[in-house]
Amino acid sequence: MSVEPAVRGTPDGLESARVLVVDDNRINRHLLLALLERGGITLVEQAEDGQDALTRMEHFKPDLVLLDLMMPHMDGFEMCRRLRADPRWKALPVLVQSSLNRAEDRARAFAAGATDYVTKPINAVELLARVRIHLRKRALLRDLEQYHSRTEAELALARNMQVRLLPGPDRLAELEAATGVAVDAHFAPSSELGGDFWGIERLPGGRIAVYLVDFSGHGVGAALNTFRLDAICRQVGTTALTPAEFLAAVNRRLCGLLPSGQFATMLTGLIDPVAGVFHYASAGSTAPMLWLPGDAAPRLGDGTGLPLGLLPSASYDSRQMPLPPGARLFLYSDAAIEIPVGTDVLDETGLAAMIARRIDEPDSGRLLAGLLEELRATGPIDDDLTALLLTRRG
Amino acid sequence: MDYGIEVRDQEAVVRLRGRLTFNDHAKLRTLIGEMAQNPARRQVLDLSSLEFVDSAGIGMLLIAREEMANANKQFILRAATGQVKRVLTVAQIAKIVPIED
Repeated sequence: MSVEPAVRGTPDGLESARVLVVDDNRINRHLLLALLERGGITLVEQAEDGQDALTRMEHFKPDLVLLDLMMPHMDGFEMCRRLRADPRWKALPVLVQSSLNRAEDRARAFAAGATDYVTKPINAVELLARVRIHLRKRALLRDLEQYHSRTEAELALARNMQVRLLPGPDRLAELEAATGVAVDAHFAPSSELGGDFWGIERLPGGRIAVYLVDFSGHGVGAALNTFRLDAICRQVGTTALTPAEFLAAVNRRLCGLLPSGQFATMLTGLIDPVAGVFHYASAGSTAPMLWLPGDAAPRLGDGTGLPLGLLPSASYDSRQMPLPPGARLFLYSDAAIEIPVGTDVLDETGLAAMIARRIDEPDSGRLLAGLLEELRATGPIDDDLTALLLTRRG
Repeated sequence: MDYGIEVRDQEAVVRLRGRLTFNDHAKLRTLIGEMAQNPARRQVLDLSSLEFVDSAGIGMLLIAREEMANANKQFILRAATGQVKRVLTVAQIAKIVPIED
C-alpha cells in the first residue's frame, strides 16, 4: 500500500476524521502530526500524557487515538484501561505506538484494550495505512449502527401501525357486551412485522363477521400486503355479502395487485346467533375448529379452497357448522400446525388433541394461554402465529 | 432443501428433497433457471422426497409454474406425500397446476 499525496485529498472522507496523538515527547508528537497531515488527516489534538489525554477526550471526541505507552503521570496502559471502562469509548480504535517491542509488552497493551500496535521507530507508510484501516472500519461500523437504529425505529413504528389494524380490547369488550360473543386473541409475528391479520365486525341483526388472513412468507413484504388487504376488506364490506361472495370479491381485487408467487390464505365467517350457525368460506385457510358444551373433542371444519391472489375467476364454497350458545370457535394461522414434531409436523389432528385435553376449561383466556404454552413447548414456531378463540355465552 | 435433475428424452424430472421454505428462495431461483435452460418440454417436480413445504414454498412453486409457462414448457407436480400433499390439497393447487400421483 502506498501513501497517496496529500494534495489529492482523501476520497474516503478521512478529512473529517479526528485523531488524538498522545506522547510525552514533543518531537514525536510533531512527527506524527506531520505524518497524519500527509495522509490528509488534519483534525488532530495533542496530549502529553494519559491524564491529559483523558481530559481532552471529553471535548475533542476523537475517532482514533495514537497512544504512546511510557509516559509520566499516567502511562498508556492505564489510560487505555480507563478509556475502555467508559462505554462511550468501548469501540474507539486505539493504535499503540511504542518503543517497547517485547512480546509481553504487546500482550499487556492488548490486555489493556489496545486495538493495534506498531513499534518505534515509526514506519510512516505502515502507520498511515493502519490509521486509515481503523478509521475506515470505524466509519463503516458507525454507518451500520446508524442504519440499524433507524431501521429499528421504523420497524417499531410500522409494527404499531400493524397492531392498530387489529381490533383492540375496547372494541372486543363492546362486541361482547352487545352480542354475547367473547374474543380472546393472540397475535405474534415471527419478526417485527408479520403477514397475518384478522378482523371482527358487528353486523345488523346481531350477526358478526370475522376473518383471519395469512399472507405467504413473512416479514416486511408480507406485512405491506396486510395493509393492502385491510383496505380491500373495508372497500368490499362484509354487510351484504355471504362469506363465499366476500372471498370471491376480495380475491378479484387482490389478483391484479400481487406479484407472482405471493398469495394469501383467508377464512371468512359469519356468526348468526338467531339461527345458531357459523357460516364460513375458506381460501386455503386452516380448518376452523368448533366445539359445543359436552363435546369431547373439537369438530374440524373444512379449510379447502384456492388461496387469494392466484386466479381471478376463483369461486368459494359456502360451508357451515352449528354454533349454539356455549359453543366455542377456534381460528388460527398455519404456524400452529406446522410446528415440527419428529420428521412430521403437528398438523390439525395434533392441535385438535391439544384442545381436547383442555376442552372443559371454563375460562377462555386460560384455555388460550394454556394452548399457546403447549404449542411453544412442542417445537420452534418460525412463522407468524395468530390465534382467535371465540366463545358464545351460554 | 436440495434437488437433483434427471433429463430424459422429453421430460426433465427434478427431485426435491427435505424442507422447502422461505429460506430456499435463492436456491429455487437457480433451479427455475436450470429448468428453463434444459431442452425438455415437460418439467416434472417430483415431490416424493419433500418432507415439508410452507406458504413461501408454495409461492415459489407458483413462480416456477409461471416461468415454465413463459418458457413454453409444461409444468407438473408429482407424487406429493404427507404434509406436502395436505397443503397442496387444502390450497387446491390442482386447479392451477397439473398434479400427478
